[in-house]
Amino acid sequence: MPLINLPAFAGDLLADFERLKTLRVDTPVIQPAEPFLDMAGEDLRRRIFMTESETGESLCLRPEFTIPVCLRHIETATGTPQRYAYLGEVFRQRREGSSEFYQAGIEDLGDTDTASADARAIGDAMLVLANRLRGRRLKVTLGDQSVFEAVIAACGLPGGWQKRLIHAFGDPKQLQKLLGELADPKSPGVFGPEVERLAIMGILDDEQRLVAHLAETMEATGYSTNASRSPRDIARRLKEKMELATTRLDKAALAVMREFLAFDVPLAEAPAALHAFARKSKLKIDGALSLFDARVAALAKAGADPSLIRYRAAFGRPLDYYTGLVFEIEAEGAPAVLAGGGRFDRLLTLLGAREHIPAVGFSLWLDRIERAIAAAGGAE
Amino acid sequence: MTITIALPSKGRMKDDASAIFERAGLKIVAVGNDRSYRGRVEGWDDVEVAFLSASEISREVGSGAFDFGVTGEDLVREGIADADARVEFAARLGFGHADVVVAVPEVWYDVDTMADLGDVAADFRARHGRRLAIATKYWRLTQQFFSGSHGIQLYRIVESLGATEGAPASGSADIIVDITSTGSTLKANHLKILSDGVILRSEACLVRARKAAHEGNPAIDRIISSVRSAL
Repeated sequence: MPLINLPAFAGDLLADFERLKTLRVDTPVIQPAEPFLDMAGEDLRRRIFMTESETGESLCLRPEFTIPVCLRHIETATGTPQRYAYLGEVFRQRREGSSEFYQAGIEDLGDTDTASADARAIGDAMLVLANRLRGRRLKVTLGDQSVFEAVIAACGLPGGWQKRLIHAFGDPKQLQKLLGELADPKSPGVFGPEVERLAIMGILDDEQRLVAHLAETMEATGYSTNASRSPRDIARRLKEKMELATTRLDKAALAVMREFLAFDVPLAEAPAALHAFARKSKLKIDGALSLFDARVAALAKAGADPSLIRYRAAFGRPLDYYTGLVFEIEAEGAPAVLAGGGRFDRLLTLLGAREHIPAVGFSLWLDRIERAIAAAGGAE
Repeated sequence: MTITIALPSKGRMKDDASAIFERAGLKIVAVGNDRSYRGRVEGWDDVEVAFLSASEISREVGSGAFDFGVTGEDLVREGIADADARVEFAARLGFGHADVVVAVPEVWYDVDTMADLGDVAADFRARHGRRLAIATKYWRLTQQFFSGSHGIQLYRIVESLGATEGAPASGSADIIVDITSTGSTLKANHLKILSDGVILRSEACLVRARKAAHEGNPAIDRIISSVRSAL
C-alpha cells in the first residue's frame, strides 16, 4: 500500500538498502508489549501506546523496529548471517514532534566478524545519510561499552561496584553520582539488625549455615525458596555487599577512571591515545583495545571518512543488551540525532533465540532527516 | 463564578474533612437528604459541593472540572501527570496519614537500601530469567522513584489492586510498592521498608486546580485562608 505521508526520499533510501544487499522485511504495527517492556524497562510504558487484546494480552503500537525484526528472525528460524532492512512507521509519545513517524534501518544478525560488521553498520549509516544530505558534513560520535567494561575491571574494583558502574554506563548523571560515592564513601552500607545478630552467632562467615538459616527463615515466614531469590542468591549477595562496604577505592584508580571518561578524540587518534593511556595507567585492557583497533582499521578499509568520527569514552546507552559499539550521527549545523545504532549481542538470546547470535544495527530518524534536508534548502 | 468543591463521600476522610471545613467557618450541609451526593456551604451561595470517591476527586481536580478537592496526596501524584503544574496543594490537613513505601521480604538480609535493590535488579534477569517484579497500584510513583531518583530501569510492574502485601509470599511479585500507615500489615507479611524507600509521606490535602479564572478571585483566597486557619 503506497502511503502518501512517506518522506519523499523513501524510495531512494530503499534503493540504497537494496544496493547494500539487505533483505527488506516488514513487521506488524501491533506488537506484543511484553518484549519491549522487558528489554527497555517500565519507563518505556509512559512513552508507548498500549492496548489489550480481548484475551488480556498487552499489545502496543510498534515503538521501534529492532525487537520486532529480531523476534521475526527467531520465529521464522532463518539462518545467519542475515542482514535485514526496514522502513516503516513507529509510534511513541514524544515531548516534541508527532507521535507517529518513520524510521528505517539495518539489523545485521549473526556475522561473527565483529570488527567488520561494526564498521559496515557505521559505514552504511554514513553512506545513506550522505546520499540524502549531499554536501553536508556528518558528525559521528562513537562509544564502546566493552572498552569501558575492560577499564573498570582493570582498575581493580570489586565485582559489585563493577556491575553498578556498567549498569550506569550511558547515564552520565548516575555515573557521576556513583563515582562521587566511590571517591567519598559516606556510608559503609546499611545492614539490618538481623545481619548483626547473624554475625554474633557466627553464621555470617559460614556460607553453608547461612544458606540453611535463610532457607529455614523463608520456610517459617511462608516464602517459597524457588519463586524468587533463593537462599543461596541472598547469601552470595550479602557476601558481595560486605565486600563493597569494606573496599575503599584509592584516589589513583579513581583519577584513572575519570581520565578515561573524559576522552573525546578524533577516531583516528583514539587507538594510540588509548594504548598510551593503558600503558601510563598500567591497565591490562589489551583484549578490548585490539577489537577497538580492528574496528578502526575495518572502518578505514570500508572507506568511511575517519575525520568525521569522534570517539567519546563516556558515550553509551543505558540498556543492558548493548554490549560493544554504540554510535550516533548528526549533520553539522543541525543539532538532532539523525541515526543511532550499536552492537547488541545479548538481545537475541534474551528474546528467546536458542543459540548466541551476535548483532549490530542502526536506525534512521526519517522525520529529522526530512527537516535537515529542508533546512539546507530543499532536496539533495 | 460558582466555586466547586469535591469532598470524600464516605468514611473517616469524609468526617475529618467536614470537621475541618466546619472549624473553618465553611459548614457543609447536604442538599436534600443525608445520603445525597450533593451539598453546599452554609452562608455561601456561590459554592457547590459534590461528594465523590477519593481517586475521582484527584482526577476531577486535575482536569479542572472542580476548583477544589480534599483527597490524599498519593492519589493526586499518582493520578495526575506533572501534578504540581496542574494543581496547588493549598493546605495539608493533618489526617489520612500514609506513606508510599518500597518494601522487600525481611529475609532479603542483603537489601536495605535502594542501591542494594538496584544491584539485585541489574542481575535479576541473568539469575532468574525474568525481571524483578514489583506489585503495586502506584505505577507513576514507582516509575518516578525507581527510574528518576535511583536510576533503576530494569524491573517490571505487576498491577495489584488489593492485598498487595501478599504478593511476594504468594510468588506473584518479588517486592511491593504500597501504602502503609502503621506498618503492621507489612510486618504481618514479613516485609521490611528500605531505609531510603519512602517514596512519599502522604496525607489528606486541600487541592486547588490551577485555573486562570482563580487569579484575583477573593472567594478562592478566602476558602484557602479559612481552611488554613482551622488547622
